[in-house]
Order: sequence, then structure tokens, then C-alpha cells
Amino acid sequence: MSLKMEKSLLVKIIALVCALVLACLAGIEFYDHRHTKETVVAAEGLTEMHMLSEWVPSLKGTFGDTPVFFFDSGVEGGTILYVGGTHPYEPAASLSAYVLLENIKVEKGRAIVIPQANRSATTTGMLGNAYPSFYEVETDWGTVKFKNGDRWANPLDSWPDPFTYVHYPSNVSLTYQDIRNVNRCYPGRPDGSLIERVCFGIMEIIRNEKVDMAIDSHEAAVMYPVVETYVAHDRALDMAMMASMSLSAEKFYMKCEASPKNLRGLSHREWGDFSDTLAVLMETPQPFTDWIVGPMTPTLQTEGKDEFLDTAAKHGLTYVDYNDDFGSPIRYRVGRHLSGAQEVISWMNQMMPEKEVLVSWPTYEELMEKDCGYFLHDPAKADPSRVFDI
Amino acid sequence: MSIYVSTSIILVAMVAAFVLSSIFLKSPDISLAITAAVAVLFGVGFGWTDSFSRVMVEGLFVNLDTVLLFITASIFVSIYSETGAINSVTRKLVSRFQNKWILLAFMGAFMLIPGALTGAGSISIFVLGAMVATVVGAMGLSKKKTAAFVFMFAILSAAAPPVNLWAMMIASGSDIPYVGFDLPLMFPIVIVSIFTIIFLGWGSKRKSKEEVLASLPEADEHMSWWRILTPLVVLIALFLASNYMAHVIPVLGLPLMFVLSAIAAVICNPKKLSIKEYGKIINNTFEQIFPLIATVLSVGMLQNAMSASGVKGLIGITFITLPVIWIYITVLFVAPFLQGALNYGSAVVFGAPLIFLFNSMGFDPKIVAVALSLIFPIGDCLPPSRITGRLAVEAVGYEGKYTSFLLAVLVPCLVLGLIALAMMIWPNSFTFLI
Repeated sequence: MSLKMEKSLLVKIIALVCALVLACLAGIEFYDHRHTKETVVAAEGLTEMHMLSEWVPSLKGTFGDTPVFFFDSGVEGGTILYVGGTHPYEPAASLSAYVLLENIKVEKGRAIVIPQANRSATTTGMLGNAYPSFYEVETDWGTVKFKNGDRWANPLDSWPDPFTYVHYPSNVSLTYQDIRNVNRCYPGRPDGSLIERVCFGIMEIIRNEKVDMAIDSHEAAVMYPVVETYVAHDRALDMAMMASMSLSAEKFYMKCEASPKNLRGLSHREWGDFSDTLAVLMETPQPFTDWIVGPMTPTLQTEGKDEFLDTAAKHGLTYVDYNDDFGSPIRYRVGRHLSGAQEVISWMNQMMPEKEVLVSWPTYEELMEKDCGYFLHDPAKADPSRVFDI
Repeated sequence: MSIYVSTSIILVAMVAAFVLSSIFLKSPDISLAITAAVAVLFGVGFGWTDSFSRVMVEGLFVNLDTVLLFITASIFVSIYSETGAINSVTRKLVSRFQNKWILLAFMGAFMLIPGALTGAGSISIFVLGAMVATVVGAMGLSKKKTAAFVFMFAILSAAAPPVNLWAMMIASGSDIPYVGFDLPLMFPIVIVSIFTIIFLGWGSKRKSKEEVLASLPEADEHMSWWRILTPLVVLIALFLASNYMAHVIPVLGLPLMFVLSAIAAVICNPKKLSIKEYGKIINNTFEQIFPLIATVLSVGMLQNAMSASGVKGLIGITFITLPVIWIYITVLFVAPFLQGALNYGSAVVFGAPLIFLFNSMGFDPKIVAVALSLIFPIGDCLPPSRITGRLAVEAVGYEGKYTSFLLAVLVPCLVLGLIALAMMIWPNSFTFLI
């Protein structure tokens, strides 16, 4: 063998070894991201925990299956549903659901909580966006790690994508990945793709459990017009409008928009069209998902401070006030969701007393004062029957 | 240190790394990977990124579906070509039609179909590129002009309705329903198609029928129309069924559709080839497309690295905070180059913010989205990825300088860009198309 060939072979072997080492190191991290579970301690009022697969059996054993928590006061009243984790790259939504379900008190009616609607999407980051796999929340009993997920379900669970996703039943064409997007697949199909089945399962809960008001929590880019906003289905528009005015006057700025009739597959449209529920979606400001932010770091997720976005705000390109002194910390975003949900429920109670649900959980003011970790309970010290891995 | 300063340092380091590695290694793919690695290492150094390996390896998965598509589509085309179908249909077309303009128009229209149905211009090249190249070449166009013809119709097919992925991604990112896009897209595409045919075909002299037929291999006497059409019919039927019977059939995905069509081509092949011979065809195909796969994979790494290091944000904020007049002036350069670097990611990163910006100025967002979705595809011939450009050049067998090819597509691309720019500047004048 000539010297040149030997050298070439050596370079190839070194390249191969380097590639294998990188693949192994990254593989360990991918595995960790996919299989790490988030632990929650449900509040004492928990009455039942079911899995979504009880409504759609084909989800059993898949990453589409997800826990559904029931808190029943035993006093006749209405039923509300709070959904987090529709888009797991918007983690204040799922974290607000965790804080809610760890601290909820129900005096009248029922509350149902789905903290991770798209559990498959919690198992991967968004390809091309280099998201850090986890972010951390400090508590009195230690640091708790939560996952940064994706907007779409993991391709490992739902693949291949069609070249264009045709929404059921409207037949409207959407981008191909949206077949893995919970907020584009409603009302879903019992025999459709993984996420169409997840959506069908959530619709079945809304229909079978006669959910009076269903709230879908999200986060939005600061440069996205529908940020700090309620988007409400026609029947829920009055109460969302009143809630936005009360919040804007008393707590924080909150807009309200009517659900567009031709934007298909979204919760605020299809929940209302395919059931009797009052459908409301909420958006908080999340710099992490803005298009022009700087390096993707865990602190960008938790603190929301970004210099580029600050420049965009100074040029009038953001849809809410923003500066990188305050940023948009996760306690602020979780607090907004929790008080936002309470407010719209209280307006439902006033406008439809026959559906009254009396519920309470930590408020915006409490979150701003004490931060998220204060409201998370130590699983090691909790009643094991109320500890769940999601 | 300000993020502006640190990300600018990274950007300079990335450019230096790309230039140096391109000079010394002469491999765009490895240079891209090295550039990505430099960006991530800076990210690690600044304490922003905790894992070099995760960002790099994750980047390899960004375009994995595209790679699978390229592999399976190439295998289909190789097998289909091996059956003699392309040669046969070319002979039939050249014998049947004498008018150069009619043939060029047919070729252009044919090429628009696969890309319009799938949203990927590369599919048009894979499915029809070889045949179109032969027929267009027979019309007297030079190889350079033929490559330009194939490229132009490939990007126009990608932009054509019903499936324009840039427009869909912009619409998805800005919550605009993807309805009412067909006419605004069709209008400029028809104009640019006609212009391209006239511009590239002007002055060329059609070779005589006999001369063309003599230059083509003899047609297999057993090659009948059903053998020619069945694999294509299978492919088109699968495309249409996926779109119009989406809730009846399972999701197949484009790679499987090409595999099924390749099987149809094997069944229809009048020459009885052994498994070993088919293996050799597949092996040769891999050899042929390996550089392209390497580019596509390394572009994914670069995309991930640019996000991790904040360079993507730096470029984005610099562009969108320009005065609007400067956006108009620079968009025809910036958007195509971003397409070259980020592929469809360009629409996600820059499409949505621009839509919101123009919306706030009272401009119709759908027309602006259409305009942007016509500008981004131009970048498919630009480095670092230049995917469609390379495919066009390879399909035609053009061996001249790549820059000469770029000059050949310049005028049609400029016309496309200027029409799109007009739609961006005066979008409300085009709302009658919605």
C-alpha cells in the first residue's frame, strides 16, 4: 500500500472514529431527552387520573398517550378543562398546568387538567433551532429540570409526513409538519395519524365529560400579533372580551380576538364547532420562540431577556412592550396564564350561573412574588398516590 | 460583551473558517461542517451551548427527509432511465412535433407539474429533468441554456400552486389560512414561464429531426406506451391520492412513493435485468448523489449552529430593522442567499417577521407572502447549498463553470424577482387575484 493511500485511509478512520464518538455522545443526550419524565404532585383534591388512551385505545403504549387529571368537588356545577403542552416548545403552558394541578382547590363543579397534550413533542427539540434540551426551576427542595420540546410531535412517533397535510374534515391544505401539530389537527380522527388521534381523544373528553369551558394555553413570539391575547370561539367571545378588559385594567395587558372561521384545525375554532364547549386560547409573550433572537440558551427560556428583541421593540416591531431589563420571565408567563384562566372562568360564572365552577390556584401576583418553584411540591415528601411521572 | 459584538465575532469566524477550509480542502460539504463546528465551539466558549455533540448531530437530522427523498427519487429516475423509457419518449416527441416553441412550452409545462404537486423543484428535475434536457437540447439550446431552462422550471414548479412550501410556512408562521394563494402564485409564474421560454429559446436553431434521432440511442422495440407511462402514472396517482384522498389512504411519504414507482419501472422494463444489475444501478446512483447528500446534511448542521450561536438572529435583526426602502433594495439579494444557507428555514426565519411588518403598514399579507415565496426559490442556485442548481447542471450534464450557469439564469431570475418585488411594493394592487 502506498504512503498516500495509507494516509488517506488513516484520515478516513480518524473521521469515522470522531463521527462515532459524536454520535454516541449526542445519542446519550437524545435518549435522555426522550425518556426523562417530569414529576408532578397532584393537589389533594385529585379524584381520578386517567390516560388519554381510555378515550382512544389505539394510543395506549404510544408517546401520544398522556395523563388526564380530574378534580371533582362533589358539588354540582360546571366543568372546566385546562390544557397545557399543546406546543411543548412553549413551556410556560405546561408549567402553568403543573402549578395549577399541584395547587388547585375546587369548591364547586369539576376541573380537568391535561398538562402535556402533545407528549411526543416533549421528547425532542425543534430541528434546526438548536434548543437546549432542558430548562431549570429553582425550588426550596432543589433544582427541578423540565423539558424544552418541539412544536410538532417527534418524527420517531409519527413518520413519514405527507408532502402536504390535508386537514380533516375541512380539506384545507397545511404545511406537511402540521400533521404532527396538536393545534392544527382538531377535531381529529379516531383512525388518523398519531396527533389526529390525540386531538380526537381530547375532543372526546370535551364531549363526553360535557366540558363547559375549555382553555388551551400557549406562548407566542413577541413579534407575533396574537401575543398577550385571548382567542375565543364565537360563543365564548363575550366572556373572553370581559376578562381581557378586567385583566388589562387590574393586572396586565391582555387583548381579545375572535377565532377566525377559516383557520382550521385550531382549538379555539374546532373545540367550539365540534362540541358545545366555550373554547378559549391564551397566549403569553415568549422571546424564546421569536425569529430573530440571539443564542438559544436555557436562560433565554426562563428569563426571556434578549438584546436583538430589545432592538426590534425599539423599532416598533414587537406587538407588546418589551425591554431586555425585564425580559419575559417564566414566572410572569405562568402567572399570566393562571390569572388569565381564572378571569375567563369567573366571567363564565357570571354570565352562565348554571355552569358555575368555583376553583382557585396561585395567581399572577403570587407567581410574580414567589416564582414558580415555590408552588411545586417535593415528590419525595408527598403522598405517593399523588405523585405522577409525565 | 454585547450580544451584537459576540455574535458578530462568530459570524466573522464562520466566514473565515468557510473561506479557508474551502481553499485548503476543496470540499464545500466539509467546509460547511467545519464552519458549523466553529460557530458551535464559539457558542460553547461563550457558555451559551452546553453540548457541542448534540447541536452538531441534531443538525444532521434537519434535512434527513430531504436526503431520503433525493435518494429514492434518484433511484427511481436511474431505473426508469435504464428501461429506455426516457429515450423512447424523447424520440416520439421529437418525431411528432416540429415546432420549437411548442416543444419548449410542452417541456416547461410538464416540468411544472411534479414540483407544483409536491412543493419540491428537485422532484421535477428527478422525474423529468433528463427527458426535458434531451428535448430542449434538441431544440438547439446550448447545454448551459438547457441547464438554465431546467433550473428555472424547477424553481417555478416549486413555487407553483397548489403546494408552495415557502408560502405555506409563512402562512403557518403568521396564522394566515393557506387559501386564496393559487391565482396570485399562478399569475407571475405564467408570465415568467413564457419569458423564460422566449429568452432562452431565442436565436437557437432546432436541429433536424434526423440529426436528433441519430444522436439518440435506438429505441427498444418492446418499449410500448404502457411501459413508458405506467411508472409515471403510478407516481402521479400516488401524488394525487395523497392530496385528494388524504383521509382514505395512509400517509405514504414521498420516499415510499418513489420506491413504489421504481418497482413499477422494474416491472415495466422490457429488458430483463438481474438483481445484481439493479444493485449496480442503485450503487452508481448513490455514488452520483453522494456529494449532494453531503451538502444537504451539512447545511442542516450549519442551520442548527447558526441558531445555537445567535448568528441567525444577528442576520435577522439586521435585515428587518432596515428602513423599508432598504428592505426593498436588498431583499432580492438577502432572501435568495438566505435560501442558499437555510433552505426552507429562510421562510420561517424571515418570512413571518416581514409579513407582520408589512401587515402593520396596511399591506395585504397574502400578496406579500406570495412575493416572498417567489423570491426565496431563486436562492436554490446559490451557495452554500445550491441544491436545485446542482441538480439541474447534473441532469443536463453541463460541464462548464458553475458561475457561467449562474449568469445564464440571471435574467429570468431577475424578471421573477422584479415581479415579486412589485408585488411586495404594491401588494394591494394585486389583491384582485385573491
